[in-house]
Amino acid sequence: MGNFIQLENFSKIAPYADMFKEGLIVTVLLSLFTVVIGFVLALILAIMRMSNFRPFLWLAHAFPGIFGFFERDSAGMKRDSGFLYHLGRFNPLSFLATAYVEILRSTPVIVQVAIIFYGVFSIVELPKITILGFIKFDRFVPGIVALGMNSGAYLCEIIRAGIQSIDGGQSEAARSLGLRQAQTLRYIILPQALKNILPAIANEFVVIIKESAITYTIGVQDIMSSVNAVRGATFIIMEPLLVATGLYFCLCFPTSKLIAYIERRMSRGDKR
Amino acid sequence: MATRDSLIQVKDLKKHYNRGAIKALDGVTVDINRGDVMVVIGPSGSGKSTFLRSLNLLEEPTGGSIVFDGVDITSRKYKKVEDSTGRTVTVKVNIDEHRRKMGMVFQHFNLFPHMTILDNMTLAPVKVKGVSKAEAEKKALSLLDRVGLKDRAGAYPIQLSGGQKQRVAIVRALAMEPEVMLFDEPTSALDPEMVGEVLDVMKGLAQEGMTMVVVTHEMGFAREVGSRVLFMADGLLLEEGSPEDIFERPQHPRLKDFLSKVL
Repeated sequence: MGNFIQLENFSKIAPYADMFKEGLIVTVLLSLFTVVIGFVLALILAIMRMSNFRPFLWLAHAFPGIFGFFERDSAGMKRDSGFLYHLGRFNPLSFLATAYVEILRSTPVIVQVAIIFYGVFSIVELPKITILGFIKFDRFVPGIVALGMNSGAYLCEIIRAGIQSIDGGQSEAARSLGLRQAQTLRYIILPQALKNILPAIANEFVVIIKESAITYTIGVQDIMSSVNAVRGATFIIMEPLLVATGLYFCLCFPTSKLIAYIERRMSRGDKR
Repeated sequence: MATRDSLIQVKDLKKHYNRGAIKALDGVTVDINRGDVMVVIGPSGSGKSTFLRSLNLLEEPTGGSIVFDGVDITSRKYKKVEDSTGRTVTVKVNIDEHRRKMGMVFQHFNLFPHMTILDNMTLAPVKVKGVSKAEAEKKALSLLDRVGLKDRAGAYPIQLSGGQKQRVAIVRALAMEPEVMLFDEPTSALDPEMVGEVLDVMKGLAQEGMTMVVVTHEMGFAREVGSRVLFMADGLLLEEGSPEDIFERPQHPRLKDFLSKVL
C-alpha cells in the first residue's frame, strides 16, 4: 500500500492543469446561468403561489348552490357550499406552482438532470457546437435548465417566506397611498423581503455551485468531470479530488462572504 | 339625502366574518361632510377600526355601500353615475384612484423602513401621480418643515422617535393632497409625552378645514377638536352628535357606561 497522498502525484497530474481550468470555467458559468434561471423562475412561482386568481368564482356566483346546498349563516345571509363553491375558490396558478415546487423538492437532482437530458432534450434537438473550444452546448444547456428548474423550486419557497415575513401594514400603507399591487410589490415588499432572505439565498447559491457537480453525469465538462478524466488517464484518484475540493472551496467561500458584505450594506436602514 | 357638501355617504355598512358568526360591523349608516372632523369613539372590539378601514377598502365590506365623491366604491363593476352636468355616464370604479384621495395614518406608523424620510414621502406622488422628483421633494420638504422635521429628511425611519414617525406618516399622506384623512388610533402606540406633538399636528389640520375621520381614545381631542362624535359598540353606531351632546348629555346607557370608565 502506498501513502494515502503522495506529493509526486501532484506533479504527475500537473500537465492536466488546463483541464481543471476549463472545468472551473464551466462550473462558474453553469452556476451563474443556473442562478439567473432559478431566480426568475422562483419569482414567477412565488407570485403564482400568492396570487388571488380565481377564474371559476363567477360560476359559483352565477349558479349559487347548484351542486351543493344553501346554508344560512347566523345572520340569515345565504351562503353556498358544495362543489361549485369550492371550485370558485380554486386557484389554478397557485395549484400549479405548489405542485411544481413539491415535485421538484421531493425528487433527487440527479434524476431530474437525467430526465431533462435524456427526456426533454431528446425531443428538442440542440446544435452540437462547442463554445470557447471546450463547452459542449448540447450538454451545457440541459445542465443549466435542469439545475435552474431545481433551484427555482427551492428559491420559490425562500422568496415566498421572505414576502410573507413583511408586516401587512407595509402593504396597507402603500395601497392607502394609491400604489397599485404591482407597484407595492416592486417598491415596498420585494426590497425588504430580499434583504431579509439574503442569507438563505446565499446558502442556495452555494448549494447551486456544489450541486452543479452532478451534471458530469450527463457529460458536462465541469470540475468533477476533469477529476474523472485525469483519473482515467493517470490512475491517480486522491490528488485530483483534493484539487477539486480546493477549487470548489475557493468558489463557495468567497461567494458567501460577498453576500454577507452586501447584506451589511443593505441593512443601513436598520441601524440607529 | 346627500347634502351638497357631503363627501362620503356610508349606508348600512356590514362586515361579517366566518359566515356571519362574527359581526365586526352590523349596519352602520353615516354621512361625512366636507370639513367634518368626525371622531369615532367606543370600547375596543366595537368595530371602530373596521369602520375606518372599510372607508378606503382595506377591509372589504360584506354588505352595504360607501359612496365617495359620488361614486359607489364598494362596487367593482361599471357603474352609472350622474356627472356634474346631470348627464348619466358610465365609469369604472378604480379603487387605487380613490385611495389616493384618502390619506390614511396608522397606529403603527407603517413608514417604509428601507427608505429615507424624503423617499417615503416622494414615492407615491412620483409613482402614482406622476409628479416630477424635484417637485415632489420640494413639496415634501415644505411639509416636513411644517411639522418641524425638515432636518431629518435624510434619516431612516428607525432613527426617529415614535412621535416623529407619526408626524412623518401624517405628512406622507398629505403629500398626496387627499380630500379626506383617516386616522386609525394615531396616538395609541406612542409614549405619553409624544402624544401631544401628534395631536397638535392633527389639530392644525382640522383648523385648516381638512376633512378628517379619527378613531381615537383621546377624549380630550374628541371634545376639543371634533366637530361630530360617533359612539360605536358591538359593530353598531349607537350614538352620534356634537362633542357637547356626547360628553355632556349622553343618552345611550352603553355610552354612559363607556364615558364613566374613560373620563
